[in-house]
Amino acid sequence: MAFFVARRLLYLVPVLIAVSLLTFSIASLLPGDLAYTILGDQATPENVAALRADMGLDQPIWWRYLSWLGNVMQGDFGRSFRTGQTVLQAVAERLPVSIELMLLAQVGALAIGVPLAIICAARSGGPFDRFMTGTAFGMLSVPTFLSAILLIYLFAVELRWLPATGYVPFAEDPIGNLRFFVLPSLTLALAEWPGIMRILRSDMIATLQEDYIALAKAKGLTPARILFVHALKPSSLTLVTITGINIGRLIGGAVIVETVFALPGIGRLLVSAIGTRDLIILQGVVLLVAAGFVIMNFIVDLLYAVLDPRIRHGHA
Amino acid sequence: MNAAIRSGALARIFLVAGFGVALSAMPANAQKPGGSITVGLELDIPGFDPLKVGVYDTAALTASSAIFDTLTYLDANGKPQPKLALSWEPSEDFKMWTFKLRPGVKFHDGTPLNAEAYKANFDRQKDPANKCRCAFYISNVNNVQAPDELTLVYHLNDPQVNWPSLVSYASQNSAVHSPTAWKAKGDEYNRNPVGSGPYILKSWTAGDRMILEKNPDYWDKDKVYFDRITLKPLPDAQSRFASLQSGEVDLVWDDEYSADNIQKAQKDSKLTVHTYEGSGAQVYAFNTKVAPFDDLRVRQALVMALDRKRMSQAITNGLSRPASNPYGDGSWVKCKDDGALPEDLEKAKALIKDYGKPVDFKMLVTATPRGRMVGQVLQQFWKRAGANMEIEQVDQATIPPRAFMRQFQLTPWRIVDLADPDIQMYSNFKTGSPVALANYSNPELDKLLDHARVTADTNKRIDDYCAISRLINKEAIWFWTFQNTYYAISSAKVKGLPKMYSGVIDVSRAWKE
Repeated sequence: MAFFVARRLLYLVPVLIAVSLLTFSIASLLPGDLAYTILGDQATPENVAALRADMGLDQPIWWRYLSWLGNVMQGDFGRSFRTGQTVLQAVAERLPVSIELMLLAQVGALAIGVPLAIICAARSGGPFDRFMTGTAFGMLSVPTFLSAILLIYLFAVELRWLPATGYVPFAEDPIGNLRFFVLPSLTLALAEWPGIMRILRSDMIATLQEDYIALAKAKGLTPARILFVHALKPSSLTLVTITGINIGRLIGGAVIVETVFALPGIGRLLVSAIGTRDLIILQGVVLLVAAGFVIMNFIVDLLYAVLDPRIRHGHA
Repeated sequence: MNAAIRSGALARIFLVAGFGVALSAMPANAQKPGGSITVGLELDIPGFDPLKVGVYDTAALTASSAIFDTLTYLDANGKPQPKLALSWEPSEDFKMWTFKLRPGVKFHDGTPLNAEAYKANFDRQKDPANKCRCAFYISNVNNVQAPDELTLVYHLNDPQVNWPSLVSYASQNSAVHSPTAWKAKGDEYNRNPVGSGPYILKSWTAGDRMILEKNPDYWDKDKVYFDRITLKPLPDAQSRFASLQSGEVDLVWDDEYSADNIQKAQKDSKLTVHTYEGSGAQVYAFNTKVAPFDDLRVRQALVMALDRKRMSQAITNGLSRPASNPYGDGSWVKCKDDGALPEDLEKAKALIKDYGKPVDFKMLVTATPRGRMVGQVLQQFWKRAGANMEIEQVDQATIPPRAFMRQFQLTPWRIVDLADPDIQMYSNFKTGSPVALANYSNPELDKLLDHARVTADTNKRIDDYCAISRLINKEAIWFWTFQNTYYAISSAKVKGLPKMYSGVIDVSRAWKE
């Protein structure tokens, strides 16, 4: 296992370097010039030249990349030229909100998707299975912003059960905090459960046809015990992968959901950094999010190996 | 002309001599102190240090008008009234303005607000070493002097007859910050602003909420009613309106691009739509140095091909008001004849035919749904007249540098609501100005602009500005689509919201019924 972890960690290095290179080039690929953005109306050629020299923008790109990477390695991701905040400060302020949103969304999606998948698998081909499979397919095509607005109108404007927008830190008011997260995390969960259900359902149907399940049935075990104890664990390998990959999708969804529900998370930070051309924040946030995603995948790989010993021995 | 200037100056001195004027022209009976208001803004506020943020946006202005004070404010008739300045007086040539400050005012951190503090604010913004974008907007000011504790003198490069009106709103240049605070806090000052206004910044969670509490030592505290103001950025227009409907916020910023919400609110007795029909307009500049816009016929044809009413219907459910000059209904410049070209598709077609070559060009639009929509509507009008426009989408921040470098054929722009047309008209149309985007030069236009800025007599200035409008319309170097209208929607209980001059929602003297 130790060898497996070490080998996987070694794979991480080139991936992270590639991520940093791509992230850095965002600034060069986007149209416009940072110096013009900062100077705006004051952008006379002399001012622009002076500022470019100040910021090292007149240096070759590889040099800028290396010095940026050097700073990043020392934990210095730069400072927003608009707010004066460091990238780490800005991210640290916003990260708890996004993590809470994603965790609740993932829990919500699993809570909807897993039981439905198990029921559908147990009665595969039946009317409930066909209905749910169809519904899941339909839900996949509902865009996040639409379900967000519909939920707001139903639960905040019409029924007035939950707040439409806003946020309060957990430490300040735990119940209030959860109330603010219900609709945003439900919105994301609604987009995620169909995937979870479809994957787990088909894996379980395959598992239920294995010989050892027939044996368990012959032993007279209850259907619930067969489903939850004997069939669920071996069927959940793909589910673990999907859950890991979902983190990436959730980050994308969070950008929209955080904007609609006015949650002060990483997604909002990203949107406002793009809107104001705050490239230093943009670079820093994208790098941190991408690195987080890569590391998340690494953890999924490890989990995979725990669930199925064949993988860490390189048999699968 | 000298006599006219002198009598104008005298009138002005008399006007401000009665400083007893109440700070606002609100009904005097219904104000109720206490309580709080929650305001939904459309943007995250990046901060308040002009050196960092450059220019305040509408969201920052709502906050800054509560945290900071200004020298003057505009009353309901648009006339400047005393705020931090008790009186003011121009020099004969209107190039020097002397303000007498209110004594005994302190910043929230106890620093005295005196002429020296004002001068320090100005010098900091103007210092070339600080490279502040905010400096552009005070390029007309040569320097500021503080001859004594309570006397502040502005030395302007060019005459400005309406200067006291122009320093009336809490913009990046006119909001006055505590010098002690910015020196002590450095980079952190941006998010920890210290002003002298009716409200003190209590807490600010990034991207979430800003809480302002009533300043107990404010010089005019009897006219400040709410104990607390909460400002929340709610970027999505639909959910912002939903938050108002569900009662989570009391007032929201809005604009005509979410016309549905405004029209829904107009029919809802629990809500009030606050509308301010300001001056200025949404405008577009042709680059007259490049083909095909170096030909007058093409420019005129494109302007004549517009159908502003249908455009308004298509984009904003008809809420936008067509503009035929750069001043708008909210301005004191009213023209009997502004020289607007008629909307005439047949004439437009004829002009393009007469030009004889294909009319192909690119237009800059912002890469936003509204930018795209406006671009597509214009594209259709011009296609019918025989011109092919290609939409070039760029992000908002790219438009100013492209415009300043003249890297465009046709660009959108805006003439914002200001108390006096001079500053914007002069910079937009005077030969050689960095913002004279059309690259157009005309001695007659220059003469009119120069005359309008040194003339104290309002009627004569109106004549000048109308002549300027006729000239620009005839030459079709810029065109105007819609007048500026500013919107806020509140619960019907919110009262005492002043006119939204320059689009600023100032809740610092409002109250709830």
